[in-house]
Amino acid sequence: MTFLPLRLRPMKDGNVLCVNDTGQHFTASEDYIGRLAAGVVANADARRLRDAGHILETDDPLGWAAHARGVAERLSRAGSLDYLILVPTLRCNLACSYCQVSRVGVKREGFDWSETTLAAVIRTIDALPTNRIKIEFQGGEPTLRPDLIRAVIAACERFEEHEFVICTNLNELNPEILKIFDRPDVFISTSLDGDASTHGHNRTGDKGATAHFFMNLRTITSRYGPRKVSALPTVDPSSPPDVDSLIEAYASHGFDSIFLRPINFQGFARKRHKGSREQDDAWRAYYGGFVRRIIERNWQDRGRVIEETYFSIALRRVFQPGRERHVDLRNPNPLGVDYIVVDYDGTVYPTDEARMLARSGVIDLAIGTIFDGWDTEARALLNQHSTNLLDPACSRCAFQPFCGRDLVDDIARYGRIDMPRTETEFCRRHLHLFDLVFELAYSDDPAVRYSLSRWLRLAGNEAEFGEIFG
Amino acid sequence: MIPLTLPSTSDAEEPFVTRLWRKPQGTHGPFESVLVDEDTEGLAYSGPAGLLSIDGASADSLDGDIVLVQPRRQRAERLIRAGSRHNTLLVTERCDQLCVMCSQPPKKTHHDRFDLLEQSCLLADPGVLIGISGGEPTLYKERLLVMLERVLSARPDLQFHILSNAQHFDAFDVDRLRAPLYRKVSWGIPLYAAEPELHDEIVGKTGAFGRLEESFAHLINAGARVELRTVLLRNNLTALPRLGRYVSARLRFIEAWSIMQLEHIGFAKGRWSELYVDHRERFELVGGAIDHATMRGLRAQLFNFPRCSVPPAYRRFAIASISDWKRKYAPACDRCTEKSTCSGFFEWHPDEEAGRIAEPI
Repeated sequence: MTFLPLRLRPMKDGNVLCVNDTGQHFTASEDYIGRLAAGVVANADARRLRDAGHILETDDPLGWAAHARGVAERLSRAGSLDYLILVPTLRCNLACSYCQVSRVGVKREGFDWSETTLAAVIRTIDALPTNRIKIEFQGGEPTLRPDLIRAVIAACERFEEHEFVICTNLNELNPEILKIFDRPDVFISTSLDGDASTHGHNRTGDKGATAHFFMNLRTITSRYGPRKVSALPTVDPSSPPDVDSLIEAYASHGFDSIFLRPINFQGFARKRHKGSREQDDAWRAYYGGFVRRIIERNWQDRGRVIEETYFSIALRRVFQPGRERHVDLRNPNPLGVDYIVVDYDGTVYPTDEARMLARSGVIDLAIGTIFDGWDTEARALLNQHSTNLLDPACSRCAFQPFCGRDLVDDIARYGRIDMPRTETEFCRRHLHLFDLVFELAYSDDPAVRYSLSRWLRLAGNEAEFGEIFG
Repeated sequence: MIPLTLPSTSDAEEPFVTRLWRKPQGTHGPFESVLVDEDTEGLAYSGPAGLLSIDGASADSLDGDIVLVQPRRQRAERLIRAGSRHNTLLVTERCDQLCVMCSQPPKKTHHDRFDLLEQSCLLADPGVLIGISGGEPTLYKERLLVMLERVLSARPDLQFHILSNAQHFDAFDVDRLRAPLYRKVSWGIPLYAAEPELHDEIVGKTGAFGRLEESFAHLINAGARVELRTVLLRNNLTALPRLGRYVSARLRFIEAWSIMQLEHIGFAKGRWSELYVDHRERFELVGGAIDHATMRGLRAQLFNFPRCSVPPAYRRFAIASISDWKRKYAPACDRCTEKSTCSGFFEWHPDEEAGRIAEPI
């Protein structure tokens, strides 16, 4: 007996994309799919399809074993806790229009970790059974409390591998902060919305403050080189910046990775940017145009490879299962297991977005506290649903093997998790993203193949990202 | 070349395993021999079975080696050399395949020495990787697995890498190979083409490909660790792209795919011109296979490819694969900056050809 473990999706060029349950794929004409379903394709084709896992025969034990393993390979396995997102203070010295994390004024009291909270965080770190740890300092503006950052770093010296990311607006640089940055295990993440006028409009406000930010950014990149620093733009989809000037703003600082994010419908953005609840086709067209423009630029200037971070993540999820550890796109997506967020008051949230929702008063998604633990009923309830495997829409979707599940995003936008999947922003965004991945993967444009090969870290240029039949 | 077998005489009647020491080591177990005399004639050790003499090597170069002494054949085999990462135990010379390029042509008879090999493993330094080769080790699968299980139960610090044609795994092995101690065991298994007829032709056995696929299914189900090996030949070079697709879809469980250049010994020596293919002529086929496997998230590597013969972008895949005792370099290699990370050439590679290939980097 023959079994075809395939999911289909029409492509723009009229062909059909066929993806099997393990994520292997090919394209063919609609006609050919008809013949395949009727079992009347040529023997040589049938052999090729069998070898690629698209045809399973009952007398092919290796095919079945490879299929089962291939399905399992697509499932993420969260290890034990080794990634902490810490919010030592909610205070901030900027007031960005779309502040995603919610913040309070720099002079407010009672919005920093207390001694007790710091002690509980360090107790938690001391008890971790892993030999590596990654800590991200969020805020507020964490550099307002260098003493807390130092205390946490000191508690991590015992791990074989330790890495710290400090998310800062770079508004204030002083010798005390630079001394922390000087550590080779410390990395800096900041926001860069584009050129000075865009960045000033969105974030820093007046010209002086904007110039000050750019001066500090320059200080950091020239002191440490671009490898130590990463930057993210937040884009207002209603007036996105000119693509080239955004790329240029990044390239001029030596940044090769640009994570193009629309304003997140979280935190204060809900109030000030109501249009950010859902992105429309205009945003998706902008995003696609951005990726294509990077491809052109990479082809023109072979000496430098720029990438859009999320596109590369999606691409690696398609081709290199298990390689990508990005926690926002995985399936199942267990919450509060391998990473947690610890807020300024010691509350534990499953994600940073969950923290914002609670802060905005939309819904309290706290799963526990750093004092009493977070192995709670709330966490168990969330995790019962944190998979795309059993969703009726996802289980027929060609992109399910690569896609993820984001409960918090659904709750943020719709207040519920049982929306028909295809009516959610998460689904529309990822359908568009994976459509773009496959449109480019099956393109015969050498410029496209060049960029895809670089983003997948290949030595040469791949000639065939997928097989084409009939 | 480092000699692996040395002339030796002993008072003992039967073969035995012993570890050679230049100086007394404090406590001495029943398997240790200590040097009593060294002169131009050779070395004399005092061991578990009386006097043991070994010729043809200095006491320094043998210090810490674990040897198998065969009194009747008057020789000592250096089974596990101290400080070397390239120790391989030969468990049998019989094989049920007859590969066209076989570097160690099989013999009909088998001398079982599993007990002695087991003893030698137990004497090994902490944490070492021990290779097992043949012939075909799984012709004596039960003896082999028992040896692995006994050694790894007593010495969980050790690791094994076993070269096998994987013609003998069956459904009954799955549960056994799932035991945690088999995480310390990896299997090096050859596959030469995705076309059954071509693979069977190369290994000289009808039905080998189908049997291999069956074994792979069992090894997947057992969670076994496998390194896949493909020797490059004139008749499978153009089959490489299809093999790359096959491996990337059907054999995703492998830990690494090693694409290997031919070794000028055994059958390959007499058939060199008909088998050997200079990878520089059509490197796009080799590079394409590496790219395809890498694209699909698999680890590919090149064995026995001198780095200068590989385009710069692919040199990181060309690893120093040739064992220390059979590795040599061309005279020009002395000027090369990458010599220390290069495979070099097999001792038995024709000097003239090595000279033609070597271009110092």
